[in-house]
Amino acid sequence: MSREPLTVDRNPSAVDRDPSSVNRNPSAVDRRPSSATDHGPRTTDHGFRTTGRGPRIGVFVCHCGKNIATTVDVERVVEALASYPGVAYAARHEYMCSDPGQDIVKKAIKEHRLTGVVVSACSPSMHETTFRNAAEDAGLNPYLVEIANIREWCSWVHNDPVTTDKAIRITRAMVEKVKGNHPLVPVEVDHAVKCLVVGGGISGIQAALDIANAGYEVLLVERSPSIGGRMAQLSETFPTLDCSQCILTPKMVEASRHPRIRLLTYSEVSEVTGYLGNYHVKIRKKPTYVDPDKCNLCGDCVAACPIRVPSEFDQGLSERAAIYIPFPQAVPSSYTLDEVNCLGLNPLRCSECSKVCTVGAINYDMREELIEEDVGAIVLATGYDLYGKEMMGEYGHGTVPDVIEGLEFERILSAGGPTKGEVRRPSDGKVPKEVVFIQCSGSRDPELHKSYCSKICCMYTAKHALLYRHNVHDGTAYVFYIDIRAGGKEYEEFVVRAMEDERILYLRGKVAKVFRDGDKVMVWGVDTLTGKRIEVAADLVVLAQAMVPSAGTEELARKLHIACGGEGFLKEAHPKLRPLEALTAGIFLAGAAHGPKDIPEAVAQGSGAAAKAIAILAAPTLTHSPEMAEVDEDLCSGCAVCVPQCPYSAITPGDVAHVNELLCEGCGTCVAACPSGAMRMKNQTDAQVKRMIQVALDVEPVEVGRA
Amino acid sequence: MSASQPNTGLPQSTGYGPRTTDHGSRPKIAVYWTGGCGGCDVSFLELGPALLDVLSQIEIVFWPALVDTKRSDVEALAPRSIAATLVNGTLRTEENVEMVRLLREKSQLVVAFGACAYQGGVPGLANLSSREEILHRMSGNGFHPTPPPGGDAEDAPPELLAQAKSLSDEIVVDYVVPGCPPMPPLIGLLFDALLSGDLPAPGHVFAHDKALCEECPRTREDRVLTKVVRPHEMVPDPEVCLLDQGMICMGPVIRGGCGAACPKAGMPCTGCVGPTPNAGDPGLAMISALGSLVRAGEEGAASFAAEDKLLDALVDPLGTFYKYSLPAYVRGAGKRSDR
Repeated sequence: MSREPLTVDRNPSAVDRDPSSVNRNPSAVDRRPSSATDHGPRTTDHGFRTTGRGPRIGVFVCHCGKNIATTVDVERVVEALASYPGVAYAARHEYMCSDPGQDIVKKAIKEHRLTGVVVSACSPSMHETTFRNAAEDAGLNPYLVEIANIREWCSWVHNDPVTTDKAIRITRAMVEKVKGNHPLVPVEVDHAVKCLVVGGGISGIQAALDIANAGYEVLLVERSPSIGGRMAQLSETFPTLDCSQCILTPKMVEASRHPRIRLLTYSEVSEVTGYLGNYHVKIRKKPTYVDPDKCNLCGDCVAACPIRVPSEFDQGLSERAAIYIPFPQAVPSSYTLDEVNCLGLNPLRCSECSKVCTVGAINYDMREELIEEDVGAIVLATGYDLYGKEMMGEYGHGTVPDVIEGLEFERILSAGGPTKGEVRRPSDGKVPKEVVFIQCSGSRDPELHKSYCSKICCMYTAKHALLYRHNVHDGTAYVFYIDIRAGGKEYEEFVVRAMEDERILYLRGKVAKVFRDGDKVMVWGVDTLTGKRIEVAADLVVLAQAMVPSAGTEELARKLHIACGGEGFLKEAHPKLRPLEALTAGIFLAGAAHGPKDIPEAVAQGSGAAAKAIAILAAPTLTHSPEMAEVDEDLCSGCAVCVPQCPYSAITPGDVAHVNELLCEGCGTCVAACPSGAMRMKNQTDAQVKRMIQVALDVEPVEVGRA
Repeated sequence: MSASQPNTGLPQSTGYGPRTTDHGSRPKIAVYWTGGCGGCDVSFLELGPALLDVLSQIEIVFWPALVDTKRSDVEALAPRSIAATLVNGTLRTEENVEMVRLLREKSQLVVAFGACAYQGGVPGLANLSSREEILHRMSGNGFHPTPPPGGDAEDAPPELLAQAKSLSDEIVVDYVVPGCPPMPPLIGLLFDALLSGDLPAPGHVFAHDKALCEECPRTREDRVLTKVVRPHEMVPDPEVCLLDQGMICMGPVIRGGCGAACPKAGMPCTGCVGPTPNAGDPGLAMISALGSLVRAGEEGAASFAAEDKLLDALVDPLGTFYKYSLPAYVRGAGKRSDR
């Protein structure tokens, strides 16, 4: 019986003692061993590591060439840190991230038996991985390595002696953090070996083909009845003037025939849950009411259908029946009964199509299918729409029928289009003799429309004007432009060819007004190079409308918990270094859904996203950072305040909250919300953060000033 | 046991139960009140029959509410001869401070008993006004404590402190029994520890480390705050979490141990047991939680103003968040005239 009654003389002079500052602190009434107020090892529940011998931390300060050394006295930082409690070694190097720099770190870890490393250098988003890997090579747990950012936070933003003082404080604070860090082990997780590609345009098709050719299963989901996307609508492509369909359809066929690609057209993603490597997706496949296996594509149903609505594929320039195939080369090659426009999927109401179908392919009882699949990665290639015509009132949209947009003109130019490739204007079918092309219609106009450049308009307008001149030899083409942006392989040459060989009139300036005058479309503008007012009595006006993300992009982004930029395009993780990735791991971006792009770029990004996805699918297991939230089950009361805060739905409520360590991205929102302090970040505890703040804000000046 | 220790008579055995220990060998216990309401003194009665067990095992050396003992009796005691002194009430007068210092000297253990001694309690809300403002409100201009007519100078009422203080502001406190007043189960925990000799680490608070929600039978589903209502403005659903219904219940921040008595009765927790060990400042923790839970319309900048307005419906935030703990967390309040 070792219990000792009340005899332990803990505090003989309690009454003489002035109430200490510790005693004044209300939380200090609870005088359990807690965060240390001095340095050295502590056997505490949170706070310093219990190495038994005390921390031995190495500090490595980088000059970053002149980036840091110009404003920070690196030598002084090393000197100040060398004498800091817990620091066993301090050194500097011109470029710490270089191989010799990393070798200094590795060598010091071994020679000085370091228990932690602080690298004072650039942002951790640059070289945290570099140094953690180096430490691991030298036998130190990588999570005992932290970066003190003395470049972005310090040397780049200050220019006086205080800069060195601040660099020392930042580094000291990080030393304190490392003292409280624990060695962690990444979480390993199995993953699905299948990829979801959303969007069956050229970018999505390319991604799907690349992934499938690498040996992995692909689900290719397309909202409309056929894959092909915008490219299928185009007549020819710049700068080579290839027939768009001719180069696209082989890929469409390949995608549809590929044994590892499951094509889900007329389908939409309805729900996505899960995380990198283990996304669970639900896809709604709308009924087409036509059995593609039975349909022999005779087209009798179209003739029988009493309904005519504007054709989406022809941008409303022609009509289609309620049962239709979007275009002859559609993939899958089958008819679709559009239930919105159908008189009613009911033999009593109409059933004309069913009556004429000799093979019995039409089935009014077809139901929506819900397809559920587990996928390891997701490629989003949802493409673009053109900025709404109705927004361009100043250019006569809505009042002048012969003002059309670029995609409409593509259809007019197309051999399979509403005019069979002859250039005729929509109002009366006459061949237009004077055509005005207006660039930047809705783009580069921050006051009224979109502020960004839609990138492809300069090129396709040159192509349009050129194709128009090929079609109508005696026609005149005018192009109003702000600048010509022809940065691409052989793009400039193409524009020059349009200007010089085809004698297309390029007028630098904006159009002020477009209005109808008899059967003419009057275009008032100004040529800023000559300073003259221009007035053209045109037969047709073609607007190079801005590109916008396709309808539903934002909704899809919400379902996937990924971000859209200000203009609604899907946002990449880093504009330069991670342009193919969403911020949520395992989700990749391709094509114009990410921003205005031409075909080669969309294809390249599709392939790039595929390569990223393949890297996930090919990995034996995936690892997940262990720097995440954890629940102190002794403190959690199960109040569930944290649950709705989690942007990743990683927390399950219960008697105590449970954090799914695979879903948690370590954002810390739950930690801030937890009312009772039961939620904490691994290696980023309140005690560590408080200590870091204390040290960073220590009133004692740490720097004597530079000579 | 060290031979140099005065004999406090604490038993070596554990547990309650009839005892026949001779008078004089029982542990000496003192109970003192400072600026309190007296509820804490009465709360011992709530122990019921168990109180008799306790009383049979202790010797009361000083307890103004119960036995006729004087300050001089305490002064006569040897230092550290009292096993444990239980102090309830806020420190409000100079006499309060003198007495608790005296008791600290004579006691081996000092227990802050009840919310006032722990963190200042309801009387601590007086810190929102300065001493002068309080005296003026009470007695008009020119009030000064004077002895009763014909009395000695030393019989004058004691001076009011500039601010109400918690016990730990003046002396070292070993344990805390929180609550307003402390609930019988928590008082039981204290005597269990004292009489068994199985003492927890210094600074221990005799309540749960988990928040009150753990004990609360109400269901939590939609963790969203869409309105703020005061208790008199609605009859709450008996099953659903009060916070989800818009009542500002301090439950998620406050230690359990009370059995969630108030929420069970349809009243939001006002926080008398004090914050959980890691919650820190209960007001800040609650503000952070409410800021996380509040929702007015779709997310985005447009909803911020609406959410601010929604939270503005919370009248008296200080009195809501620091009802029992203002002196412990909000410093300098009421010092306007002192400057």
